[in-house]
Amino acid sequence: MQQRENAKNPKQALQVRQSSLSAWQIGARTAGPKTVHLKSAQKHEKEKQQSASEQAGSSTQNHLEQALTYFERVKDYIPLRKNEVLQKHLATVESIALQRGLSPEGLNVLLNVALSGHLADTVNSRILKCLIPASVIAESSVVSAVSWLCVGKCSGSTQLLFLRWLIAMFDFIDHKEKLHALYGFFFCSLQDEKLGMQPHLQALLSLYKLFCPELVSITLPAKMKVRNGLILPACSTDTNNPARSKEINHVDILSHSESFPVEQLHTFSQLLQNIHRLEFPSQMGSVLRNSLLLHYINCVKDESIYLRLYYWMGQTLQEECTWYKLDNQQYEEEFKDFLDIVYKTECFLQEGFSSCEEFLYKSLPLWDGFCCRSQILRLVSWIPLSSFSEMKPHLCEPLAQLFFTSSLYFKVIQVLLSFCLTLLCILKLMSCVNVVCFSDCCSRNTTLSGLLNSVAELIHFVGWISTVALRLENNATFLMYFILDFYETVCDVYLKYNLPLLVMPPPGVFYPALLSMDSVSLNQLCYIMYRYRTNLVAAKENELIKKTILQFKFSSQTYQEYNQYIMAMVGCLWTSSAFQKDIHPQGIRLDPEVLKKTRVQEVRSSFNIVHHPALMGYAILFLQQAWPEDKTLNFNLIKGRRWNWYLEYLYMQGLQGLKLFIESSINRVSQPCYILILTSP
Amino acid sequence: MSLVKPFDKLPTLNSAAILLVGTDESQQQQLAEAILKEKKIFKINIHVATSLPLPAERDHIRPRIDLIVFMINMQSKHSLRNVEASLSHMDANFFLGKVCFLITGVGRMNHCSVEMNAVRKLGNLYCSPVLFCELESEGIRVATAQRLLRMLQICAGHVPGVSALFFSSLMKSSIDE
Repeated sequence: MQQRENAKNPKQALQVRQSSLSAWQIGARTAGPKTVHLKSAQKHEKEKQQSASEQAGSSTQNHLEQALTYFERVKDYIPLRKNEVLQKHLATVESIALQRGLSPEGLNVLLNVALSGHLADTVNSRILKCLIPASVIAESSVVSAVSWLCVGKCSGSTQLLFLRWLIAMFDFIDHKEKLHALYGFFFCSLQDEKLGMQPHLQALLSLYKLFCPELVSITLPAKMKVRNGLILPACSTDTNNPARSKEINHVDILSHSESFPVEQLHTFSQLLQNIHRLEFPSQMGSVLRNSLLLHYINCVKDESIYLRLYYWMGQTLQEECTWYKLDNQQYEEEFKDFLDIVYKTECFLQEGFSSCEEFLYKSLPLWDGFCCRSQILRLVSWIPLSSFSEMKPHLCEPLAQLFFTSSLYFKVIQVLLSFCLTLLCILKLMSCVNVVCFSDCCSRNTTLSGLLNSVAELIHFVGWISTVALRLENNATFLMYFILDFYETVCDVYLKYNLPLLVMPPPGVFYPALLSMDSVSLNQLCYIMYRYRTNLVAAKENELIKKTILQFKFSSQTYQEYNQYIMAMVGCLWTSSAFQKDIHPQGIRLDPEVLKKTRVQEVRSSFNIVHHPALMGYAILFLQQAWPEDKTLNFNLIKGRRWNWYLEYLYMQGLQGLKLFIESSINRVSQPCYILILTSP
Repeated sequence: MSLVKPFDKLPTLNSAAILLVGTDESQQQQLAEAILKEKKIFKINIHVATSLPLPAERDHIRPRIDLIVFMINMQSKHSLRNVEASLSHMDANFFLGKVCFLITGVGRMNHCSVEMNAVRKLGNLYCSPVLFCELESEGIRVATAQRLLRMLQICAGHVPGVSALFFSSLMKSSIDE
């Protein structure tokens, strides 16, 4: 029998005795009278107090058998607290295991009960930790234990402990043929979330697979993005392999024999002099701060580098995450700094890291919305564009949940974030359009129209959360400002980014802005509608001239929506007829009887640029300046020529959006004006 | 022992009541204090209980409960079982947006006895949002208190045009569907 120190199980040292083995095999299962048992129980207590006791009395044997019988019969859940029977049997098993190990049959019983999920986790881990074999471990008990894992009754930590026990006790298993067949199962469980990521194991295996693919037959997760970086022409392969460059140095007469560490490079001439003998740092993470190394990564098409960076970053993010691991709370500042570095690197490389993306998808649902808030939100904006159905449950829904339950400030940031996200998506699409092959720049195989759909859906999503947020915050001006800012970007996508995408704001954003009490929102809205018009007109013209390569035209529904909004706007600002004539299905049209009940006098001329609540303040100021002696505020004075003066006055107050809108959408040939409505091509 | 019902009492003017149900009393105490420290525009009553049903004797002095928060500790299977047992003692109308699950202990993933899936399934089954927080950290505690206050405001009907049911439908997650 071997005696060995087990590094994995530092708590127990394995001590096996031949005499105890024979005692176990031959020892009769005697069940004496009760009094004898009591006495032996006391004896057992004394034995436990003596350390490394070697007394193989039959009384302890009986206790062990009783304990094993008890464990064999466990069928339902048994809590540990206040259960003296269980505690006693557990203590028996532990002490005997420590003294002389357990027989294969005993191990079988205990393995089965530990992995069956009938006992509490604390009991299971105690049992697993005392599974010390006296002789061998039967292969069948390991196989049946693995079958328990498949049932999934025990918790993740118990499974992990079992695997570690298996690795530690591997040499004691008597036969291993059946076990060899189960390797696929073990490797699959490496990828299982429940058992912990163990990314260093995955990393090792992946690297190994790169060099010796025939030896690693399992499939490992290959979530690498193909980078569309530059390819250095005729670049020598020496710089790839620092070992080789050292070799060449021996042959090279002129150069020094040592290599030049990258960290010491400060000038371009230094780089030129030492480019053949650069020594790269061994720590993968150091590339993040070094722009030279980042360039290098971008140029070199070496998969092992990406793999190493991927696994290192994934592991670091998970290990250091402050809400994932409470003990990291004190290191929150460092984690924030790390996230900042990752973000800056992503900005430098102009694309996101897939390990960062996975980390966000995994931890966003668990995020409390507070830790490292701004860092996390910025990182979200670099998540590469994929199909919206993929992003929705992992990204949009947790963010929406946080959005709706948080304070206003957070909402503002959220909207800004969406802004960045969409903008970056669009920019990325822009670069994609210039490249012929789309599958190169996006790791998922998508077409341009698919990407455009995703962006459109994302914009709709932002519209939805904006509508709800405005409802929750009662149309707060601050929030409205940022939402309209978002749509200022969205409205110009066609002209500024040359992409066939135009999404109108939802009525839940449009109408509160139109009827808002402050002029800033109204002005912004006017500007946005003016830009929409410009984009739609340009699209129509291009369609007619057939300039667009993609031959994409905006649907008639888009034009219809635009026209409905325009009618409402002109109705509110000019013709005072919005409440009578608004044709939008979710608009502000009121039935004539209801209008009558409001008892507003002169309802047909009481809601326009003069009387709009957002602009009435300006009207009053205008009246005071034009007729300083007149103390009654007679808004009817503003008509005819004075209407034009009033308009000029408004424009001078900074309401440029209003100016652009009125001049583009309202044609004032003579007194009756008509609205320029667009027809779809 | 009586069922807790959401609509069997009249609401009090400009006030709201929240009930925290969970096995860890010190955590409940911490959370309650954090909620009370927040700036608010309406009066709050915080009730704490280890489990449901609530004792019937005090029923007449208890105000109408607007939001019930079930606190589950990921390190304790007992807390999950306690919550599951309490859930059967509630009027079904509560699950129209007036229930929320607050999960603590996510910050110690290696010591979790409760599976993440079990918790998500619970949220899906009872159509209620699941919030994660680590109450031992003060900043998170304050942020969580703010979020609960927000939800309470809506559940008590203080936000015009937004009902508890509408709000809970916004938080529906489709991960496990």
